Amino acid sequence: MRFVIRRAGFFVLTLWACLSLNFFLPRLMPGSPADRIIAHLHGAVSQATVRAIELSLGINNDQGIWSQYISYLGHTAVGNLGFSYSQGEPVSQVIAGGLPWTLGLVGITTILAFVLGTAIGAVAAWRRGSRFDGVMPPLFVFTTAIPFFWVGMVLILIFSVYLGWLPAGGNTSQLAVPSFSAGYVGDVLVHAVLPSLTLLITGIGGWVLTMRNNMVTTLTEDYVRMARAKGLSPARVMIDYGARNAILPNLTGFAMSLGFVVSGAVLVEYVFNYQGVGYYLLNAVGYDDYPLMQGLFLIITVAVLAAILLSDVATAILDPRTRTAG
Amino acid sequence: MRRLASRRMAVTTVLAAAGLLAAACGSSGAGGGSKTTTGANTPLIISDVTGQNWTCQFNPLNFAAWPQGGPSETGPIYEPLMFENVLTQKISPWLATGYQWSNGLKTLTFTIRTGVKFSDGVPMTPADVAYTFNLLNQNPALDGWSLWQGVHGPLQSVTAQGNNVVLNFSAPSPTYFYYVAGQVPILPQHIWSKLPLKTMSTYPDKNPIGTGAYVVGRCSPSNVVYSANPRYWQPGLPAVKTVEWPTYLTNTPGNQCLINGQCQWGAQYIPNIQQAYLAKNPAYHNWAPSIVSVALVFNHKLTNTPLANVKVRQAMALAINRSQVGAIGETGNESGAFQDGIALSYRSQGWVDTSMANSYFNDYAYNPAQAVKLLEQAGYTKVVGGVRENSAGQKLSFALTNNGGYSDWVADATVIAQQLSRVGIQITQRNLSDPTTSENNGTYQIGMADQTGGPGPEYEFRQWLYGPNIGSTNYTQWNDAATNALFNQYSVTNDPASQHAIVSKLEQVMLSQVPYIPVLGAVSWDQYSTSQFTGWPTAQDPYAQGQTGIPDWGWDLLHIKPA
Amino acid sequence: MAIPVTAGPSEPAARLIGAGSRRLTALRRFTQAVRANRKATIGVVLMAIFIFVSLFPGLLAHQSPTAYSSDITAAPSAAHWLGTDNIGADIYAQVIDGTRNVMILAIAVGALTTAVAMVIGVAAAYLGGVWESVLSFVTDVLLVIPIFPLLIIVATYVPNAGNIVLILVLSFTGWSYTARQLRSQAQSLRNRDFLLAARVRGERAFYVIMVEIIPTMTSLLLASFLNNALYAVLAGSGLQFIGIGKSDNVSWGTTLYWANQNAAWTTGRYLWFIVPGLCIALLGVAFAFINYAFDEIGNPALRPLSAAKVRKAAEAHTGRRASDGSRAS
Repeated sequence: MRFVIRRAGFFVLTLWACLSLNFFLPRLMPGSPADRIIAHLHGAVSQATVRAIELSLGINNDQGIWSQYISYLGHTAVGNLGFSYSQGEPVSQVIAGGLPWTLGLVGITTILAFVLGTAIGAVAAWRRGSRFDGVMPPLFVFTTAIPFFWVGMVLILIFSVYLGWLPAGGNTSQLAVPSFSAGYVGDVLVHAVLPSLTLLITGIGGWVLTMRNNMVTTLTEDYVRMARAKGLSPARVMIDYGARNAILPNLTGFAMSLGFVVSGAVLVEYVFNYQGVGYYLLNAVGYDDYPLMQGLFLIITVAVLAAILLSDVATAILDPRTRTAG
Repeated sequence: MRRLASRRMAVTTVLAAAGLLAAACGSSGAGGGSKTTTGANTPLIISDVTGQNWTCQFNPLNFAAWPQGGPSETGPIYEPLMFENVLTQKISPWLATGYQWSNGLKTLTFTIRTGVKFSDGVPMTPADVAYTFNLLNQNPALDGWSLWQGVHGPLQSVTAQGNNVVLNFSAPSPTYFYYVAGQVPILPQHIWSKLPLKTMSTYPDKNPIGTGAYVVGRCSPSNVVYSANPRYWQPGLPAVKTVEWPTYLTNTPGNQCLINGQCQWGAQYIPNIQQAYLAKNPAYHNWAPSIVSVALVFNHKLTNTPLANVKVRQAMALAINRSQVGAIGETGNESGAFQDGIALSYRSQGWVDTSMANSYFNDYAYNPAQAVKLLEQAGYTKVVGGVRENSAGQKLSFALTNNGGYSDWVADATVIAQQLSRVGIQITQRNLSDPTTSENNGTYQIGMADQTGGPGPEYEFRQWLYGPNIGSTNYTQWNDAATNALFNQYSVTNDPASQHAIVSKLEQVMLSQVPYIPVLGAVSWDQYSTSQFTGWPTAQDPYAQGQTGIPDWGWDLLHIKPA
Repeated sequence: MAIPVTAGPSEPAARLIGAGSRRLTALRRFTQAVRANRKATIGVVLMAIFIFVSLFPGLLAHQSPTAYSSDITAAPSAAHWLGTDNIGADIYAQVIDGTRNVMILAIAVGALTTAVAMVIGVAAAYLGGVWESVLSFVTDVLLVIPIFPLLIIVATYVPNAGNIVLILVLSFTGWSYTARQLRSQAQSLRNRDFLLAARVRGERAFYVIMVEIIPTMTSLLLASFLNNALYAVLAGSGLQFIGIGKSDNVSWGTTLYWANQNAAWTTGRYLWFIVPGLCIALLGVAFAFINYAFDEIGNPALRPLSAAKVRKAAEAHTGRRASDGSRAS
């Protein structure tokens, strides 16, 4: 329990670090978002109009920087993340629109990659010396080294342009009306196939390799030899003695690799015009929309931290040693 | 293990099956093929990439919410008093049937049309018009055109008198006609007067009530559906009953929709438009009028720089092969502009003082040899490492600040930089995601920008060169008494002869002093397909701009009809 | 009962561990290890090719990668082997000339990141106390924050990022994983005899760190360098691909950026994006294979088995399985 509390404390501190980074970095840059709006108006706009527009965006240069900082932290705590002028709506609304798509894509793909990768890795380790083990690790080393966005473009070329089986981008087809009908759900699934395939191809390798390496090391341990000597079935030895212990470092790795997967998701969403959180982040960059960029960055970090916390809890449950280590 | 292997295969099979099944039941969007339907109820689908999802807020006075392009409520939903065609300067009645200047161009009287109803059935009266204008005065955030005196504009009072509405200006203001008559949307007093004044600029206006031909049928973040207004004051119009405007955050899916034929009306840059779009179907057309130029902008606030020497600027204007920049950088979408500063669409209307323009190096036709001569005359004779310098060691090496988000402008700048390097001028490109800040502060050396313009070349010149516009549109930081006097003269006259004479003098400023270099004609992107709809504005019949902008697209929709 | 299979060192590696190792020079050891391990061979060969191309691009490409021409977005031809881009510049030249920028990025970031991680990780382990807590906290915070979004945020604030800025940005965001690894290893070394001896001698902390601790961690440092170089190649190209970074920089990521901006796959110009992306993949693979091979060389348990061992293992297994066949599996 103390372990969980300590970790939670660490995460709160991390969030605070993120928020401060978010706050101070843009203040170092010149110009303000109001400049952009003035550019849109293309006319002689008076100071009064500018001021009125700034106030409507929540920019208030009358306060000193520290009171702005405090109110920024306060606002964030209650979920007021400011106004995104490139999307024309509050940041929290933009996030609410994109988050489900990213969570769906990343979440499902990560679980698939974890399950499949761990399974393949375990099998490869178990069948040391076979052709399977000869081919799998190099193949997956190869897939971990190729860039996400390129894999996406190649898949689009094959499945969309050449074969015409799948759409080249978007979360849904353009004019689709959201509903729970089979047509809409099918549309969503069809548009999700290529992005998740891209993430899967590039993400699965890490799981395979770490699981295989951990398991190979585990299999040389004495207790595994003992289990085999006792005459337990190979499957039982592999799963209960080998995999179960080999998977623990993998769970910690899961936490750290989540950042890697989220990074990949950003690029995949960009290539496929898949309107999730990562896509909006890259879009906001093009407009210098700092409130939106900061809000998205924050929510991405929160999601990763939450996942890590969950995996830490899982590790604590599965591995009694971490509990006593405190 | 056999069991695990089969589990893995099972998972893969399920995935594949789900994919194929979904592909079978999924709706359109997979791959190509145009989905054409015909008939009176065919929706007209627009492909105008705005870069954001719809917020479904249709407040025409919320300037902070305008993305680059739309949605443009003024036109189809809300209507202004008159339509002024920026291409031909022709003025047509809209909500007003006529207008009259009096009192030395200080009083403007509009006769308001009768028999017009708002979409909720309440009649539109001159009181609504007066109310709308006075509203802008009460909350300055709504006055995006800076019309009123409170924000240093000339408008003093607006009153309804019988069938008319009278606007009183503090000084002669014929150049304000375009904004007052053609841009201000007429709002229903019976709805807006009930809203709190202070928050009116951010009022969502989800179900806009206007006099226009369309109302909002359905709106979601990914698509807006406009339906014909059953109470529209022009019987039989609009001919197109449904218009849809889906959102695109980037150009590629938007262009794809046009190429597929799913979208019939486009408004963006399509790379290699000939092979990518026009060659695909004889019904596909592209019209690209240009009322402003994309220009290379000098920062005249800087004093200790070679660019302060007019000969250097002239040399640069001669060293740029403008048509090549258009052919390569814009993949043929835009043509070269001219140093006299008159935009391409206005060149056949008698604005260009041809003999004067030709006396200046043949209107600065591409001539790198002449450019080198000018640079040597200016003292930049020594060439060190490909870059010219003068005896004091000052090099002709400059930074070009550009909008990194416009990939076609970045390509243009690359071509320009290479052309200038052939005469010994070195350009390093600085691509920012939004250069307006440095341009407004005057903290750049050379920039690349364009303006919005207006009905006639003077509007563009004014945006570029008028002293009081420094900080808003005058990126050149040009503040010259003689030039300002010209603009002040223009703004108080309505006489075409005087206007032409003043514009001639402005051309002379452009040719003799080169305050900025117009490189390309900045086009109002307009792609359209005639397979399902006709009545589009074209080069032969330019009754309005074809781009989905304010308020032209509303005017277009009153003319477009099913094929 | 047959003795179950355990991994044993393969033939040439036995020489590394056995009595004769000290007589072989490091280079010979290296060459033998590489030749014995197929992954390392592939990796080193690929790396050598890329290093050669980055050193002598002029031998392979004769056209300018940036000069515009009127032959825009042309299909591959005899004049332009990979076609031309949207301003008519030769794509093949971009790929060849771009190799140098990518290699510089990879090596510089690999080295700088590892150096920063080394300083922070080892200092944290050695200094202990408050320093350790603070440095560990900073390391862990940076570890959990997703790297690519952080890179995007930081890089946006620096407009027009050239090579130098990119190197700095990548290095100062990517050191945390390496720092953590180095810290754990340094911690395990902290109480070893030779360090206690150094402290007793009265050496200063800086001396101990630089001269005593770091040289013992060479293999980990080398692995970190390769890992960070891989990270630089992928993250750097990723940033350039989305448009952060100078758009006139000749590099594979930038070429991909222009291919994407001009919708290369819809206009049939497939090689425009396939080839640069393939180069990124192959360079990444080179780093990854070499790294993985070092992993195997260092940890004998991971090495692939020779054919003889496999046969022996199979026989042993089959024997046991017959006796287990009755149990449910």
